[in-house]
Amino acid sequence: MLFNSLSFLLFLILVLILYYTRLFSWTNKKRMLLLASYVFYGMWNPPLVILLWISTLVDWTAGKKLAIEDNERKRKAWLILSMVVNLGFLAFFKYRDFLLDNFTTVVNSYGYGYQSKPMDIILPMGISFYTFQTMSYTIDMYKRQTERAKTFLDFALYVTFFPQLVAGPIVRAKDLISQFYEEKKATANQFIWGVFLLTIGLFQKIVLADTLLSGTADTVFGSDKLLHGLDAWIGTIAFSGQIFFDFAGYSTCAIGIALMLGIILPDNFRYPYASLGFSDLWSRWHISLSSWLKDYLYIPLGGNRHGIIRMYVALMVTMLLGGLWHGAAWTFIVWGGLHGIYLILEKLQKRYVPFKITAWNGILLAFLTFSCVNITWVFFRSRKFDTAWNMIKSMFYAQTEGAKILDTFTIVKVSVLIAILFLCHWVMRDTSMKDVSLKTKPWVLGAFWGIMVFLIVIAQGSGEQFIYFQF
Amino acid sequence: MQLKQSLLIAAALSIISITSWELYWRSQGYYPTLNDEKALWAITRSKVEDATKEDVIILGSSRAYFDIQINEWEKLTGKQPLQLASTGSSPLPTFHDIVNNTSFNGTVIIGVTPGLFFSTTYPEASPWKRPQSKVDFYKNRTYAQRLNYQLSVPLQKKLVLMSADEEEWSDDIDLKSLLKGIQIGQRSTDPIMPPFYNFGDVSIPRNIKMMERTVTDTAFANSIIKVWHFFGKGSPPPDKKSTMSFFMKDLKRFKEKNGTVVLVRCPSSGGVRMGENMGLPKTDFWDELVSQANVKAYHYEDLEQFKHLKCPEESHLSAKDAQYFTSELAKIMLNEGIVSNSKSN
Repeated sequence: MLFNSLSFLLFLILVLILYYTRLFSWTNKKRMLLLASYVFYGMWNPPLVILLWISTLVDWTAGKKLAIEDNERKRKAWLILSMVVNLGFLAFFKYRDFLLDNFTTVVNSYGYGYQSKPMDIILPMGISFYTFQTMSYTIDMYKRQTERAKTFLDFALYVTFFPQLVAGPIVRAKDLISQFYEEKKATANQFIWGVFLLTIGLFQKIVLADTLLSGTADTVFGSDKLLHGLDAWIGTIAFSGQIFFDFAGYSTCAIGIALMLGIILPDNFRYPYASLGFSDLWSRWHISLSSWLKDYLYIPLGGNRHGIIRMYVALMVTMLLGGLWHGAAWTFIVWGGLHGIYLILEKLQKRYVPFKITAWNGILLAFLTFSCVNITWVFFRSRKFDTAWNMIKSMFYAQTEGAKILDTFTIVKVSVLIAILFLCHWVMRDTSMKDVSLKTKPWVLGAFWGIMVFLIVIAQGSGEQFIYFQF
Repeated sequence: MQLKQSLLIAAALSIISITSWELYWRSQGYYPTLNDEKALWAITRSKVEDATKEDVIILGSSRAYFDIQINEWEKLTGKQPLQLASTGSSPLPTFHDIVNNTSFNGTVIIGVTPGLFFSTTYPEASPWKRPQSKVDFYKNRTYAQRLNYQLSVPLQKKLVLMSADEEEWSDDIDLKSLLKGIQIGQRSTDPIMPPFYNFGDVSIPRNIKMMERTVTDTAFANSIIKVWHFFGKGSPPPDKKSTMSFFMKDLKRFKEKNGTVVLVRCPSSGGVRMGENMGLPKTDFWDELVSQANVKAYHYEDLEQFKHLKCPEESHLSAKDAQYFTSELAKIMLNEGIVSNSKSN
């Protein structure tokens, strides 16, 4: 079920009525939320709920055993079981065809003439998110960094909680399960703020991403021509805005919906396009994934504890795997690799050419970071290397002979919108929406809110899927 | 934080602005209509799974969609046909789907618009991709998508502002379409398509009728004609060999299942007909198709009843003429025993 759909609106109203009715005890409310979460997921493809159940059962059992087992070998065996099941799901559903294709290419390069047939199995929505979330529980249990979930119901709800099930934020057990132990009820202010966040999220998705930007990105990246430099840049920044509004929109909706139920989810984005460098970017973009990768990949790989070279290797491996997490294609790996290179270059700069960041050079640094991020998006968005390479050529050779496929109004529209996006992120980078709203007059906030609702209604939207659902 | 106050202001402002928007577009002559969506096509397609030998399916492009009116057909035959023709589409992908993915062995009426029927078998070409996307949607639609459509129908029937057709008409009033209408100079070297306005009203069960405005407003009809001429000039040459070969394979299989196919050439007139005569002459395309297919076939120019029919925008019949065309066609097919009247049976 998509947040930007009529069926979800109906679903949410029903859930809220049942949640706030006095007929149910807290346990029964949690049961209702769990059932609602399965319905939310099953409305897309009912049989794939079974994967959620398997993941839940395996990690619940592993967590239970890890809580009582002292034998280190047995503890490791339970951890490995959880990893094998969860990563096995990912490998089978997400990476199988990619691995098979690459295997075929390698084998055939030795002249074997092997023919592989893609199995064309559906990719379960949000599989990368919920498998990472359940794995974090088991790993934390193994490292004795979290308490065992008190009941199976609490744990199952942690795995399946519908607001963040299919595209995060990827929440750690200690941050969410404990919230299910005591009865939760949003205060009036929390509830209204939740509705406001849901409105902002839908506005980002329906109006900004789908209505104003996606068409331009699709036209440019779908073109098989060598484009004029301006068209290539506009298509790229349009995608840059689209993916931010799409994904941040989803996270904002998720946080808002959870808040309407009295549950607090962590921030997933903090104005990333005004980042001062790439370490800053990854503390602001998809925060729940970058902290997951840092805690469960970068640090176990050695982090910065074993010298500089080892740190760079750990950084690069983490970013390459982070790229692969997004999609089973070499273009995603290149995207991760570019971010790895940026992070290493930044660390070298800080070591050998340090400089003080002031208000004056800050915005230039933010703009430079944003520009470099845009280059990585070319690989993220392109389905094939040829397309990405043609785009890069157009962007940097500034092809005056390239095809002009965008009209003037589209160029103006995208440029203005992305300039506003960048400036908003710059202004907001050290504050939060909540802080700004506290300083805003109620009627101004209300008017802004009303305009967003109006634009959502007249944009209508065609129920476009969120980009990150495919990951 | 005085959020309650903000919420009240937001609610009041939303209601006022949305109501004003709705009233404004109504004052501009808009009225609530259903969008021609994949979801509606999929509902009709799902009925094929339970269709019997006595059922009739209509395939083809917009001419078969506009010109064969399902209620009129039902009046004469006692059975409502399943309308699966689609605008701007080749009938081949849908026929392929019905032949290969269903056990249906009743009657399939295939509307032959030469420029689309003989256009292509290339999956990425628009006349193929459009119907194929509907077939794929039917196969892959989720329960959430089915529910979304059911919830949206009452809203579409009541509200003008619910006008975001998948066709992306130039007179749609959703935000994306309104912004699309803004032009500043001409930067692209590609020719610009003239504005393409919606000229049909969709109803459930799936059916479309030409809007009365197309008949009464010559300037409006001319704007549609300009679009046909634009398409005519820009379309690639027909691919008779591969389209015929693709169709014949499916036809053979359908005949083996004991199914009946009827080919129908719906009327066109004016410049569109002239263009068709030049690019896709009847003798080279229609006659050869009929001869190879060896099925019942009706060309409007071969039948006295249809020779006088004129299309207001050169390609589709007015609602009134479509009723006449449907009833005459049904009578012919009843007389020739191709279809039977289920009521009298």
